[in-house]
Amino acid sequence: MEKELIGKVALVTGGTKGIGRAIAVRLSEAGAIVVVTARSRPTETQTTHHFIATDLTIASETHKVVSEINEKFGSIDILVNNMGGSTSPSGGFAALTDEHWESDLQLNLQSAVRIDRAILPQMVEKKSGVIIHISSVTGTLPVYQSLGGYAVAKAALNNYSKSLSKEFSPKGIRVATVSPGMVKTDTMDTYLQSLAETSGLSIEQVTQNLMDSLGGIPLRRMALPEEIAELVGFLVSPKASYITGVNYIIDGGSNPSL
Amino acid sequence: MEKSNNELSGKIALVTGGTKGIGKAIADKLASNGATVVVTARKPSEEESGHHFIAADLTDSSNITELTGKIIEKYGTLDILINNVGGTSSPAGGFQMLGDDDWNRDIELNLLASIRLDRAMVPKMIEKNSGVVIHISSLNGKIPLYQSNFSYGVMKSALNAYSKTLANEVAKNGVRVNTVSPGMVKTTAMETFLESYAKTINKTVSDASQQLMDSLGGVPLNRLAEPEEIANLVAFLVSDNASYITGANMLVDGGTFPAV
Repeated sequence: MEKELIGKVALVTGGTKGIGRAIAVRLSEAGAIVVVTARSRPTETQTTHHFIATDLTIASETHKVVSEINEKFGSIDILVNNMGGSTSPSGGFAALTDEHWESDLQLNLQSAVRIDRAILPQMVEKKSGVIIHISSVTGTLPVYQSLGGYAVAKAALNNYSKSLSKEFSPKGIRVATVSPGMVKTDTMDTYLQSLAETSGLSIEQVTQNLMDSLGGIPLRRMALPEEIAELVGFLVSPKASYITGVNYIIDGGSNPSL
Repeated sequence: MEKSNNELSGKIALVTGGTKGIGKAIADKLASNGATVVVTARKPSEEESGHHFIAADLTDSSNITELTGKIIEKYGTLDILINNVGGTSSPAGGFQMLGDDDWNRDIELNLLASIRLDRAMVPKMIEKNSGVVIHISSLNGKIPLYQSNFSYGVMKSALNAYSKTLANEVAKNGVRVNTVSPGMVKTTAMETFLESYAKTINKTVSDASQQLMDSLGGVPLNRLAEPEEIANLVAFLVSDNASYITGANMLVDGGTFPAV
């Protein structure tokens, strides 16, 4: 592993499990000082990562976290906005109340906006930095049965990320979006489990149904979290110096459009 | 060739148009990551490249048969195919300046060359249930510029469609196919193009370059790319680290593409 990120301070939100954890591992393997946040302490200790317990859907937490990182490690060079998800029920549009919409937007858009706002000034001062927004293929390929609000929030995140990149790339800060398709994580397993329970179908059947609702996956499998992490690792490295304002789709080919 | 890492150790790679500019940067990068690299062009470069050179004019289908034959004879296989050859000599100045000959030349060079080479090489990858194909496209495939290179943009857009279609077809055979779309890159080909464009619009090269950047809507990173910056993305995409990426069109354009 090339140690391209030695001396860099990286923050990965939602970095204690699934994709976030894989990203945190990948960045620390490349030499970065990695701070991860989540609401609860991870059960296994990741000795290479520094953990801060926080709920970044709460506005006041943002500055607390950034200050703590700055005090302990210095200015933040790499920010991976990975936290996201949905607690909304399946059942299509009718099942989504105002509270579900609000919650999906807070978790998938607003939290990223707040932490970007808190960290950008230090990146601007240094005239350098990288911000990654972990989005989802549903941002351009909505899945209405169960992820209506989530998909909308991700679409908003995509637009926001592009807008930010236009404004801040001239100041030396690269901003990019990564849109995974289906990824094999505990969260995905729990989600498929709940779909199976609600529908009375087997896990295999609901998995297939979800793949079909994306139009099928040419690579015929879900991604491993490590595969997403490799793309993020590349994007935050000096090798990606001319890459900004992009939305890189990593979905085994499922997005059907040109 | 100095090796940076062993990511592509044991892999055989072909880079078309691999003797200068972006192609050369890609060839060098793949070799430094451990691949055995074959480059083609109509003529060899003046300096010794360190790669295996095979002369070929990819607008001639008999050359393609010969090229495939030589590679399979010497290496038995192909793991990585970089369709980098492309370009245009069509006149600037809008659609009325382009005759059938200009269109046909651009179709041959930017679309058919890749199609024919894939048709010759990808079956070998399908046989092995493994392989990676990259089509080097251009930002112009997504942002057409009627004034400076009308037909080139159209052909690159067609190449994008072809690449995605192929990706869908061969994913089940273990072959990943992706497109890379560079923005403006600092190469001698770019210099030549800017010189000729500058003449057409009666401006200095520097003004022509600025006008081109402006007609794209401006470049947020405010500079052209170095060929190595394109090569870095290609090297990542052909490695096993990109195992879940297929059917994608990856821009490397300093933020120029304006839409979400």
